[in-house]
Amino acid sequence: MREIVFGVQDGVLTTAGVLAGLSGAVSDHTQIVLAALASTAAGALSMGAGAYLGTRAESEVMASEVARTRRDAQRHPYVVQEALLGELEKQGLTREAGYRVVQLLSSAPDLLLVTAEEKVYGLAGAMHANAALDGVVMGIAFAAGALVPLVPYLLVPGTRGALGSALGATALALFGVGYFEGWMARRTQRWRSGVRFLSIAVGAAVVGYLIGLLISPLGATAG
Amino acid sequence: MLKPGDSAPPFDLPAATGDRLGRVALSKLGDELIVLFFYPRDFSFICPTEVTGFNQALNLFRAEQTAVIGASVDDAESHRRWSRELGGLELPLIADQGAVLANAYGVFDEKERVAMRATFIIDQERKIAFSEACPINIGRSVAETLRIVRALRTGRMCPADWTPGGAFGPADGKF
Repeated sequence: MREIVFGVQDGVLTTAGVLAGLSGAVSDHTQIVLAALASTAAGALSMGAGAYLGTRAESEVMASEVARTRRDAQRHPYVVQEALLGELEKQGLTREAGYRVVQLLSSAPDLLLVTAEEKVYGLAGAMHANAALDGVVMGIAFAAGALVPLVPYLLVPGTRGALGSALGATALALFGVGYFEGWMARRTQRWRSGVRFLSIAVGAAVVGYLIGLLISPLGATAG
Repeated sequence: MLKPGDSAPPFDLPAATGDRLGRVALSKLGDELIVLFFYPRDFSFICPTEVTGFNQALNLFRAEQTAVIGASVDDAESHRRWSRELGGLELPLIADQGAVLANAYGVFDEKERVAMRATFIIDQERKIAFSEACPINIGRSVAETLRIVRALRTGRMCPADWTPGGAFGPADGKF
């Protein structure tokens, strides 16, 4: 889910930004489209590679932590038991009830370890991640998102018209991704999720534009 | 933490002895020596061997005119259930809720909010004769505590690793 939302949002915004920027600087419609296509390809590959490497790195760190925890648990099993007992107390069980739960889990040492890894050390999630899948999903999501502002440039003649359609499609897509996220989370007012997503994404783009305006005099000075 | 020679702070606190709830007061203990051992919590996976160890050696301590009392910050009802969990204890467990006793003896762990794993031996004049504290993950030696009790009862100078039947130090030696 994370890769889909992140990939689509980045693909939509990055490509819309490239198209908007090029539309202001270049008059040839074909050159604008080709540049945006190249940017999309590069972005999809880059995002996919980044997602793969990030997930893989996280999995490797987690695997190392799990191995260390299991070595410690073999030498000092009571450490794992006490740590899990303390965590269960923090999560609302009485001391005695937590003791009984840990005692029960101790009859299956592997289950005790896995439970402690999840509850005490938070080592569960990344262990089950598939780095290759994350990379592929991210890349495809980016490319799919990039198509949203790109398609108007392929269909609408004239740069001005294409840009207006692209920005409109971008806003609709961002709202749609937020709405989708609200639907997946079973929220009743999914339109709020859409508005929130659109606001944050557009807000980030506006801030980026303003920062560009702020630092543009530095370019004039350097020239 | 209190050290040998310090006066033992008096106490009169609720306690559980096996299934029975009552109170334990230092002033009412007629034993020659008192072993007062603090432990962090009931229903723990580190503490049980110590408590059961002291319980199993109770008759040996009684033969040395020595009472053995445990204390933690848990309440008396928890002690009663913990005693049942450990198969029934004959030694009293003081309910030091509020950590009044642990603080008085200087063994309250502010960070963990429990008593340290500490042992005191209180003599007939109700002064501290022996004190020690262990890391929370290391159980104490009941046999060593009993050895110290036996050495104290001789009133003599006992060399390193002294055991009953072993030679004493010089007769006029003072400690």
